[in-house]
Amino acid sequence: MTAIWRKARVLFSTQFALTTEYRAESIIWMLSGTLSLVMMLVWMAQAAAAPGGQIRGYTPAEFATYFLGTWAVGQLLVVWVAWELDFEVRQGALSPKLLRPLDPMWQHYAGHAAERVVRFPVMLVLVAVFAWLSGASFTRDPRAYLAAFGLVVLGFSARFLWEYSIGLLAFWTESSTSFQEVVWLVYAALGGLFAPLAFYPGWVQTIAVWTPFPYMLGLPAQLLAGKASLADAGRGALVLGAWLLVFWFVRLAVWRVGLRKYGAVGA
Amino acid sequence: MTTRTPDASVHVRDLRKHYVVHEKEPGFLGSLRSFVNRKSRDVEAVRGVSFDLQPGEVVGFLGPNGAGKTTTLKMLSGLLHPSGGEARVAGFEPRRREADFLRRITLVMGQKQQLLWDLPALDSFLVNQAIYEISDAQYHATMREFTEVLGLAGILKKQVRKLSLGERMKCELAAALLHRPQVLFLDEPTIGLDVNMQESVRAFIRDYNERYGATVILTSHYMADVTALARRILVIDAGQLVFDGDLAHLAGRGSGGKRVRLQLRQSVSEAHLARYGSDVKVDGLSAELTVPRAEVSARAARLLADLDVADLTVEDPPIETVMAELFGGREAERV
Repeated sequence: MTAIWRKARVLFSTQFALTTEYRAESIIWMLSGTLSLVMMLVWMAQAAAAPGGQIRGYTPAEFATYFLGTWAVGQLLVVWVAWELDFEVRQGALSPKLLRPLDPMWQHYAGHAAERVVRFPVMLVLVAVFAWLSGASFTRDPRAYLAAFGLVVLGFSARFLWEYSIGLLAFWTESSTSFQEVVWLVYAALGGLFAPLAFYPGWVQTIAVWTPFPYMLGLPAQLLAGKASLADAGRGALVLGAWLLVFWFVRLAVWRVGLRKYGAVGA
Repeated sequence: MTTRTPDASVHVRDLRKHYVVHEKEPGFLGSLRSFVNRKSRDVEAVRGVSFDLQPGEVVGFLGPNGAGKTTTLKMLSGLLHPSGGEARVAGFEPRRREADFLRRITLVMGQKQQLLWDLPALDSFLVNQAIYEISDAQYHATMREFTEVLGLAGILKKQVRKLSLGERMKCELAAALLHRPQVLFLDEPTIGLDVNMQESVRAFIRDYNERYGATVILTSHYMADVTALARRILVIDAGQLVFDGDLAHLAGRGSGGKRVRLQLRQSVSEAHLARYGSDVKVDGLSAELTVPRAEVSARAARLLADLDVADLTVEDPPIETVMAELFGGREAERV
């Protein structure tokens, strides 16, 4: 246990040191993820112009709260491991990592976790500014924040694993990241990045509830807005937990089969 | 002090590796053809290589570019899955990449790095300490030893990206050997380094081998690396082992000639010396020429009788010359 803790601590601290070397890039990248904010402005304008000043029960301020919530949650769900793996497999940079008695996945995971620490305070400041500008107001129930945080941890881990599996496709194909683009579209659509899930046709909602996407993005945002209950969070956590298990084994299988294909290019 | 390990041996039998390589003609049309009908061919990088290494042995692994040296090392270190044959390193099957196996080996690739580029080398060492579960006492003892032998003092806290190539290579070696592996696969560890740095890396490898009794397989384009460290040489060409023997034996496999060096008391022309042998070089009172191996004694006797010779030595040709001859078109004989 001590050895595991030591590995986790050292990996996290070195990855944190690396992230601080690139802190400016992290913040610029963070500001570039503005889709939620654009959707917020679109829906706020639509609600303001709608009869009664609302659409399906959402006032402009409630749209602001929801989309600002998805923006904040989305910031914590950002994963770039597919690009890293694609590069490492194709350039042979995976080789030095394969020589060590530790699954290279943990170094990537520590890197993502460390980056969250740099990103989080900046994100809080920006949420406060955007909330003040847009009129968004979040719940004051601390339990909702804890529940949202738990869902984000589960959601991030699930997303990390599926993106890792996609990155590993570089063992077979020269463009694994193109798969990532397709999966991102499904994640954004069913997660509720374009609109709350309740605004989608019934058949889409029926499909969406079986996927992990609404529980990792839309549900935490609804919890922060005070529009979802702790029971909803519990159900979401169960679904996410199940998907996490699925992605864990998928990642393991792709890794084991893929290693046999590895060419250790240029190493 | 030498710490012998229970099993640092390497056994290789009929090891093979085939690759599928995709081919494409250059240009737009080539891309279009490749898009519609992608062509590929099977490349046999390693074709049935067999050898055994005893614990503590240092072996030079030579061959021209593309001969299969690096592919063999990658298979022995578990990076590549063999297409056929068998390999056992320190009692383990490399392709299984078991944690205990990875703790016993290292692969240093002169053209690849494991150090974290934006952080000081010391951070990478701490990561390796944690990953290999090295105790604090062993870590500090090893670091003291490496710092002394490799001259690391003063560079460990500098960002890796700001180190010179030589400094970086020394740190790479230290990082790769921090866990005191028993089997070292060294692939061009001195590539690009200046002569002094090459010597310091060689001294470090020699010291490590003597201190820990580690088995070492070394590939290098610098013959000085091989002649300084290895007594036994494996030569691979076109994926097949074409020589396995000691360095002296390899040197004797040249064109059959030996190099005679003369220190003369009176100058002699090249044309005159050409009567005694080929490839004559004269520089003042120093001269050298190649004579057939079978006639060394007779030719030397004639030189001593005919010329005013102060000193005469007979040597095998430089290993570079032998290698050039071995891969210069003559079919090498399997030993």
